[in-house]
This record gives sequence, C-alpha cells and structure tokens, in this order.
Amino acid sequence: MSPALFWFFSLMMIAFAILVVVKRNPVASALSLVVSFIGLAALFVSLDAYFIGTIQILVYAGAVMVLFLFIIMLLDLKAEEKRVVTAAPLIGGIVVGFTFLTLLIRVLAGNANGKLPMPALPGPVDDVKRVGELLFSQYNLPLQIIGTLLLVATVGVVVLSKRELK
Amino acid sequence: MNPLYLETAVILLGLGLILAEAFAETVEKRTFAWVAIAGLAAVLVLTFFVDPGTAAPGDNWRRFYATDGAAMFFKRFALVTTILVLLMALDYLPVVQRYIAGARPGAGLGEFLTLPVFTCAGLMWMASAKDLTMIFVSLELVTVSFYVLVAYMRRNSASLEAGVKYLILGALSTGFLVYGLVWTYGLSGHTALDQIGPALAALPPESGGAVFFAFVLVLVGLGFKIAAAPFQLWVPDVYQGAPTPITAFLSVGSKAAGFIVLMRVLDVFLSVPSVVPKAGLVLVGVTVATLVYGNLAALPQTNLKRLLAYSSIAHAGYLLVAVTSVLPSAGGTPPPIPMGATVAFYLGGYLLMTILAFAVMVAAGNHLPGDEIIHFNGLAKRSPALAFGLLVGMASLAGVPFTVGFFGKFFVFAGAVARGQWLLVAVGTVAVACGFYYYLKVVRAMYFQPPVPGQETAIPLSGPTRAVVVALAALILFLGVWPQPALNLFPGAR
Repeated sequence: MSPALFWFFSLMMIAFAILVVVKRNPVASALSLVVSFIGLAALFVSLDAYFIGTIQILVYAGAVMVLFLFIIMLLDLKAEEKRVVTAAPLIGGIVVGFTFLTLLIRVLAGNANGKLPMPALPGPVDDVKRVGELLFSQYNLPLQIIGTLLLVATVGVVVLSKRELK
Repeated sequence: MNPLYLETAVILLGLGLILAEAFAETVEKRTFAWVAIAGLAAVLVLTFFVDPGTAAPGDNWRRFYATDGAAMFFKRFALVTTILVLLMALDYLPVVQRYIAGARPGAGLGEFLTLPVFTCAGLMWMASAKDLTMIFVSLELVTVSFYVLVAYMRRNSASLEAGVKYLILGALSTGFLVYGLVWTYGLSGHTALDQIGPALAALPPESGGAVFFAFVLVLVGLGFKIAAAPFQLWVPDVYQGAPTPITAFLSVGSKAAGFIVLMRVLDVFLSVPSVVPKAGLVLVGVTVATLVYGNLAALPQTNLKRLLAYSSIAHAGYLLVAVTSVLPSAGGTPPPIPMGATVAFYLGGYLLMTILAFAVMVAAGNHLPGDEIIHFNGLAKRSPALAFGLLVGMASLAGVPFTVGFFGKFFVFAGAVARGQWLLVAVGTVAVACGFYYYLKVVRAMYFQPPVPGQETAIPLSGPTRAVVVALAALILFLGVWPQPALNLFPGAR
C-alpha cells in the first residue's frame, strides 16, 4: 500500500477515535467508533491480513457496534449530554494518556527489532484456511476453553437479565 | 491417566448439572450442590492418580499445559476451594433467594450453585497454563464467571454495584494484560513460555526497554487479579457487595490463580538479564505499596466484610514479599524454602483461614442484622462454636503463633531475610503489627462486648457448617504446630 493511503487511514482512525470520546451524543460516539474500526480494517488489509480485516468489519463494525447502537437507542441516554465535565478528571485523563503515549513512543524508538524491514510475503497466502487449520489442530485446547467461556457467559446473561427466573 | 481428563470431568459435571437443573424442575436445588460437591471431591481423589507421563511427550497439548508438581498442587487447591465455597453457598441460599426475581421458590438458585463448577475448571486450567493463549483464555473463563456471580443478587443494589465496578475495572485490566501479552509475543515471536525466555534473552540490549514495557503491562493486568496496590481500588466495594460465598471464592481462588500465573510469567521475564534490576525495583515498589495500603486502610474499618477485603490486599502484599525473594540480590543467599513452596504454603493457610472467617459470617449472618463488626458483639454467648471458629481464623490471619498463619509469615520473612530485602522485612513487620490491631478488634467484639439487646438467642448451626468450621479450625491449629505435612504436599519444598 502506498504511504499516502497508510497516512489517510491512520489519521482517519485517530481522528474518529478522538471523536468517540469528545462527542456528547452516544449515537454519534458509536458511529465514530464504527468509522475508526473501518480504518483499522483497512490497515489490516494493507498488511495482507485479509481475514482479520474482514472479521474486523463483519464482527466489530457490523455485529458488535450495531448491537451497541441498538442498546443506546433503546435506553435513550440523555444523561451523558447533560453531564458537566469537571477539571480534575479531564486533567487526570490527559496526563495519563499523554504519559502512556510518551512511554510508547520512547519504547518504540528504542526497540531495535521494530526498525527491521518486514520481509515480503512469498505470495498470496490462504489465510482463512491457515487460521482455521491452526485453530482446530494446534490451538484446539484453548478453543475448547473459549467454548466453555461462551457457555458461562450465555448462562450468566440469561440469569442476570431475565425478568422472572423460572 | 492423562491429566487433561481432570478438567474435562469438571466441565462434564458442570454441563450435566446445568442440563439437569433445566429439566428436572421438581428436584430440590440443594441436591445439585451436593452432587457438585461429590463430583468435585471425586475429581480431587482422581488428581492423585494422574500420570503425567502416559501421553507421548510430543503431544500437542503439552505446549499449553504444564503437568508439574506446582500445577497439580494448585489444581487440588482450586477443587478444595470450590467444594468449601459450595458448602458455604448452601447456607447462603435464603439470602440469594431474597434478592433474585424468581417465579417460584428455588427458581434461579441452580445456576448460582453450578457456575462455581465452571470457575473451578478455569482455575484448574490456569494452574497448568504455560502458553500465553492458554493463560488468557483460562483467566477470562474465571473472570467472566465471576462477573456473573458477583452481580448475582440483582435486586440488591450493593451486589449490582459490585458487579458493574468489577466488570468495568476487570475489562480495563484485561486490556492491559492482553496488550502486555501481545508485546511479549511481538518481541519474542513465541506464545509458549518456555520458548519466550530464551527468545527475549537473545534480543539486542536496545530492546530492553520494550521487554520491560511488556513486563509492566502484564504486571498491571495480573496485579488487578491478585489485588495488589495500586490496582486494588475495586476490592473493598466488590467484596462487600458480592454474595458472601462468592467473596470468599474471589478472595482465595482468584488470588491463587493470579499468583501461579504471576510466578510462571515472572520466571520468563527474570531470565532476561537487562530487565532484572528494573523489574526488581517495580516489584519491590508494588509490594511495599500493597502492604502499606492494605494494612493502614484496614485500621478504621467497621464492616467485617470490608475489613476482610482490605485484609485480602494485605495478604497479597505478604505473598508478593515471597515472590520478590526470587530476585537475586547482592550478598543474599537463596531462601531456605523455594519461592514456589513458600507461596503455596501461604496460600494454603490463607485458604483455610479466609474460608473459615467467611463460613462463620455466612452461618451467623442469617441471625445477625448485618455485617458490621458491632453486630458480632457477644457472639461468644450466642454461639460458642462460631465465635471460636472466627477467633481461630482472625488469630491465624493476624499471624499469632501456633496457627498456620504464623508459619506462613515466618517462611515469607525467612526468604526475605535470606535475600537481604531489609526494606520489605521492615515494612512487613509494621504491617503485621497493624494486623494484630484490626483482626483482634473482631475478637474483642465477640468475647468482651455484651450482645445487642433483643439479639441474645442462641444461633442454631447446621451439621455441615459445624463440620466445616470445626475441621478448618482444627487444621489451622494443627498446621500451626506441625507444618511439615502441608509442606510435603508441595514437591521440592524440603
């Protein structure tokens, strides 16, 4: 991918990520997050990780964020728009974020391996097939545990949200 | 027998219970708890018959799954904790029933009794996890089941508040942990812990900063799980709001699993020479902060559950002192007992005394107006057995000689002295002195204060509760005189 596209998508991601925090309307925040995710997906695609890029759009920008939007609209959140931002949390947040950013830049600048050029891929990679193979052969044990986790989460959601338990 | 079958058996037990609970509507809910307890006890027996060597050493699961003595010890630890928590939950069912919206008596209680079985499986997997992916998924299984259990009494605003706080802060800490794991993977190119160490050590020295960054991020994530300062802010509110048996589970199970993962991960990062001095500094700092915060903040507490929450932070501090004794120091000698064994012994003792304190709280709770320490005034007159149990528990938590808590602290400080960690020894001594004040405050209320007028009737005790309280108190006193049997449970302790 040309550097121009990289900068375009990176800046788009960052700009909309900032909007998520700054916007007072929850629906606007959620939609900004969707755009930010699309930028991230484009960056994945630029790294030849087509599968992750697609999943990023299908699952995060699609399913998860639509669910978020539904909930926000159902709950009709008005409190957030009226909330007054006081100085202390604002300054605290900026200090923490800025410190983290400085740290990250310093670490990245010092990491010698990070400056190595990435070797080009040998050709088109069948990444869906390879991810699937790895997941169901080598990584089968963690996959089974995730299955248990999803079961627990499902049971938990029913127990915590059902109007009247039978 | 292949050790993987242990967790499989636990999961099958949980699945069977949850299915039976859904279809067998007429069965009394307590039956499910007893079946779960019997099943977990059977698995506990099975742990002594597994043979890690049976499967071919090249098997794929060995990449993720450690079968060493420490793993087996912590699997048994998780099973014992879960059994005791379920016994406690039986006594606590009326309270849960009051705060959930059930269409008929007993509705919604089945899940409360079966979810801990899944948590137990997660804790057992964590005990064996030696791969970043395995660590993450098993940790999340434990955490997600705790999110549900903490908020279980959803008509009680305190439980709901605890659930929301735990969920949000837990998600944040998971974010840090994953970011740290990703950095570790990115730097080393491996997810298996035994390959990460050499790969990190082979990096050029300029990358030391990045390795340290990954270490700190992982430490933040795990520090949340073990309730170390400055990541302890969630502890008091969550412990106070959660259903009491779940508080005990969080305080013992979650902490033990956090420590075994911390020890395994630390092993890897400390094999990188350039990181050792900085990591040591951070570890000592976190340890001192945890000891000071846990003990000083416990002093003014008036609520017993909250007091035990701060005590949980304080004990995380003592455990971190033991963990810090892996650090090589100038002029120090290796600790007399290996670090893993010290931590295991301390956690074993902590399991006995914490569960004992919470079991007494649950048993007495149905007959007391609340969890405040003044509500325990004159408990000795109302129920000598419960008061004696809490006396033993508190004495052991404080570290009075002839209790297992004394030996736990003794081994911890022996390690710190051998390593020449004098700062930790000094802070620890002051912390123990603070502990004597706030733990014995509870004893004073039970034995030297008159009961509240109108609250003078004797408290009836169910058979299982009496057995649990007596057995735990007896074990605490026995191991406080002769700790060798417990040390023998952990391989390589002698």
